Amino acid sequence: MSWAVIASKEFADAVRSRLLWGVVAFVTVMVSVTFLVPLVVPALDTGVLAALGGASEFASLLVPVVSLVAAYLAIAGERESGSLRLLLGLEPSRWAVVLGKFLGRSAVVVVGLAVGFVLAGVVAWVVYGSVPLAAFAGVVALTAALGVAFVGIAIGISAATATRARAMTIGIGVYLALSLLWDLVPQGAYLAAFGTPPGGTVPSWFVFLQGASPAGAYSALVMDVIHAVEPAYPAATAGIDGPVPFFVEWWSFAAILVLWTVVPVAVGGYVFGRADLN
Amino acid sequence: MTAIETHGLTKRYGHDVYAVDDLSLTVEEGEVFGFLGPNGSGKSTTIDILLDYVRPTAGEASVLGYDAQADAAAIHQRVGILPDGYHLYDRLSGREHVEYAIRLKDTDDDPEALLERVGLTPEAAERPAGTYSKGMSQRLALGMALVGDPELLILDEPSSGLDPDGIRDIRELTLEHAADGGTVFFSSHILSQVEAVCDRVGILNQGRLVAVDSIDGLRDAVGTGTTITVTVDAPPTDLALDDVDGVTGVTVDGSQITVTCTDPTAKLVVLDRIRATDSRILDFDTQRSSLEELFSAYTHPTAAESVTEDRR
Repeated sequence: MSWAVIASKEFADAVRSRLLWGVVAFVTVMVSVTFLVPLVVPALDTGVLAALGGASEFASLLVPVVSLVAAYLAIAGERESGSLRLLLGLEPSRWAVVLGKFLGRSAVVVVGLAVGFVLAGVVAWVVYGSVPLAAFAGVVALTAALGVAFVGIAIGISAATATRARAMTIGIGVYLALSLLWDLVPQGAYLAAFGTPPGGTVPSWFVFLQGASPAGAYSALVMDVIHAVEPAYPAATAGIDGPVPFFVEWWSFAAILVLWTVVPVAVGGYVFGRADLN
Repeated sequence: MTAIETHGLTKRYGHDVYAVDDLSLTVEEGEVFGFLGPNGSGKSTTIDILLDYVRPTAGEASVLGYDAQADAAAIHQRVGILPDGYHLYDRLSGREHVEYAIRLKDTDDDPEALLERVGLTPEAAERPAGTYSKGMSQRLALGMALVGDPELLILDEPSSGLDPDGIRDIRELTLEHAADGGTVFFSSHILSQVEAVCDRVGILNQGRLVAVDSIDGLRDAVGTGTTITVTVDAPPTDLALDDVDGVTGVTVDGSQITVTCTDPTAKLVVLDRIRATDSRILDFDTQRSSLEELFSAYTHPTAAESVTEDRR
């Protein structure tokens, strides 16, 4: 049960170092602001659901940063400073260390995001007069899942690297690739296939490619959740002309998000397990 | 049962850098074993392999009968470790460090008793470890190593950074542990620190084990015996001592000639030879070789001879 001891210490450390409160404050302010954007930009739909959708789009860029910052040093930092040598002297299982770190940092991000979103929800409730609870709860849960996925990615990077500097470099690179550049993949594929940028309707593989990154899968799931509450809101598959294949169903995107969580932890843990620590 | 056993243990980095080279070593249970060698001789790498921080290129290592790589969990449950190059958690207090160690090892030790045993006051134990001096850090790390009343203590350079009080306390803890039937394996690059506590020492140089014996046994084996220092009026130009039986090293430094003799009768022969040269003896002195010379005889076996070569 060493992983549980390590996880609880990680969480206690985050409280002690005020990392948790930093996450809460950051998320509250940023999400509150995005809730208010539809009010000050007249051209936008002013409904609370649109505001929730807008907040989630913003969250898909913001949450990966929060998670990466919260977790990229978890193992590489201890390895560089030397405290890992004390820890492994007490618990030699590297998998226990990776699992404990992953769970502890995930708890920090989940609690931080949940509290931040609830506080921002209060702001939205004051401004809009009501908040669709089911959709809101769904979006918070999905945002937490996205946070955990990026903690998994960050822990994987941290486990596979020997120094803080390398963990940071790879973390920034992964963020750029997964959150900012990923959109070019479906766009480029469409352009290559049809010779024009995507228009009103798109093929199903385009929707799948869009949702194949962690943030893409998250955005697709958010659309499906809000659509389930309010059918007027477009689902992830709204742009598809014709029948909707299984691989763009909601559970397909859920599976993608789970894979983005588990695979990096497993790969990082494998590399870490074979590494010489000196 | 053996506490530590290695066979042909080798750790190679790259193609030809051998941190540990074909090391075979046995440490019996109940022994206090000093692992000696200059910095960079491979002591820490050997210990890192025993602790499964580093994987060997070849050979095998076992601790308390368990394979160091396959059964690391069983080993760490029974071994107390003070690693080299560790770092404490700056924000955690000393007490929280010990409590963390107790929870990780799942034992029912009393944190207060452990902290007192390693000489950390209750006030110091409440302070964050980031404010600790090197000596306090070392005491705390030792306290964490003692969690779970381990059968074997593996201490890597336990006295580095400690003041004389700290060194004495470590020595006492080591002896206490041994008196209770425990085994202690510790490394040092300073011979005088192991002399007082060790039953046996092993000397490592450039990754190879060059000697394993008791201190007295080593002294006899290396035969450093005594050193005779002769002061002359002018450096001799025609001195030849290498053919004298029992002479192991000759150093000429200006008007001072230092000769190491393993055979007591060699001293007089040396004096006769010097008198036969054109130099006049002003004074001479003999002394038993220090342990440091013994150590350097093993780790720099050619140093004394090369000085003589240069002066010829």
